[in-house]
Amino acid sequence: MPAETHVEQGPIGPDAVLQILRERLAEILEIDEARITLDADFTEDLGADSLALIELVEALEEELGERTVGFRIDDEDLGDLHTVREAVEYVVARLHRAGA
Amino acid sequence: MGRPITIAIDAMGGDRAPSEIVAGALLAAEELGVEVLLVGHDEAVRPLLPAGALPEGVMLEHAPDLVTMDEEPAAAARTKKDSSLVRSATAVREGRAQAMVGAGNTGATMAAALLRMGRIRGIARPAIAVPIPVPGADHPQLLIDGGSTVDCAPEWLVQFASMGREYARTRLGVDQPTVGLLSNGEEPGKGDELRKKAFELLRDAPGFHGNVEGRDLMHGTVNVVVTDGFTGNVALKTLEGALRAAVNLVFGVLESTPEAREAGKVVTPLLLDAASVLDPDSTGGAVLLGVDGVCVISHGSSSARAVVNATRVAAECVDTDVVGRLKEAIRAR
Repeated sequence: MPAETHVEQGPIGPDAVLQILRERLAEILEIDEARITLDADFTEDLGADSLALIELVEALEEELGERTVGFRIDDEDLGDLHTVREAVEYVVARLHRAGA
Repeated sequence: MGRPITIAIDAMGGDRAPSEIVAGALLAAEELGVEVLLVGHDEAVRPLLPAGALPEGVMLEHAPDLVTMDEEPAAAARTKKDSSLVRSATAVREGRAQAMVGAGNTGATMAAALLRMGRIRGIARPAIAVPIPVPGADHPQLLIDGGSTVDCAPEWLVQFASMGREYARTRLGVDQPTVGLLSNGEEPGKGDELRKKAFELLRDAPGFHGNVEGRDLMHGTVNVVVTDGFTGNVALKTLEGALRAAVNLVFGVLESTPEAREAGKVVTPLLLDAASVLDPDSTGGAVLLGVDGVCVISHGSSSARAVVNATRVAAECVDTDVVGRLKEAIRAR
């Protein structure tokens, strides 16, 4: 519904998304944020399993959903997101779509 | 006197929901001095209330959606935000309740609690602490994990041991709880790779007794039995089946001859009384350890009495600050 899909606090760019993702994922995995680079693979490099990724998705939806109503990550898309870069690009595209 | 504790109860979860759950919730509010937040579909719950009205100490939160027993846990917890289960967990997170009780889909309850309440820092995965009766003992034995985390890393079993010890200390009043690692033999080298690695990590842990076997369940060998959720759940169901078979055997014998029937008149009431400690409805449910809030999981076919007992456990966990104590114990490791 167009009336519900508006950007409330201005667009969020890739850098801001990366920072939010870093903070949340570091919290979930209890690792240093510095390890979460754009090329890091969630499973291979960071040791995130499916439950950790679901926790991340929930955290991102909660934080970004407050700023962009209608923002949502589809569970079926999770399997295609292997690296941090892929996740950031996906989230930015989703935010753009929700705010359009 | 401070404000009474509020317990959110998933009115729609369980084989006998909503009728037995609502009946138990009403009894709990009456008997335990707690406030109850019934979370369920308005149309299903209201007809079960006395004269359709909410008694004192009982509140109702409408939840239009439902998580069924056969749904994929994580997906259900994520997508069904308006379900009675997820809303119960949300009530705890938002401070409208201090604990939740659910008798529905165990995996989904774990996922909802994890996603809504969050994890205790230092704990990778939550675990279900199931109290197992030990005939003749002052307190039950704890089996951790009863089925929350099926695939485990050795380090997680060490975390389960830490949580189990603290829980046994806080809730059961055991000063120096002992911990056993469930394996296929008592010797240190026994077990698969998971067990062997976990043994090495636990070797110097406080209270670690060593390996225990399935036959040590329901016996006082150790206070806490640690295992992965898959093995723990199989062990629990095996116990349940074996106990049922043993009960059938005994009562079969007492019906087998006229003399046995005569003896049964004397023995049966005593046996029934003794067997009441084995009734899952009387144990009060299992606590999900490792999430940042109190979540009590009652068994799927919970009666009203089981709900009362689970609510009692939830209130006691709040009262004794189980979550705070666990956080401290994990920090101090």
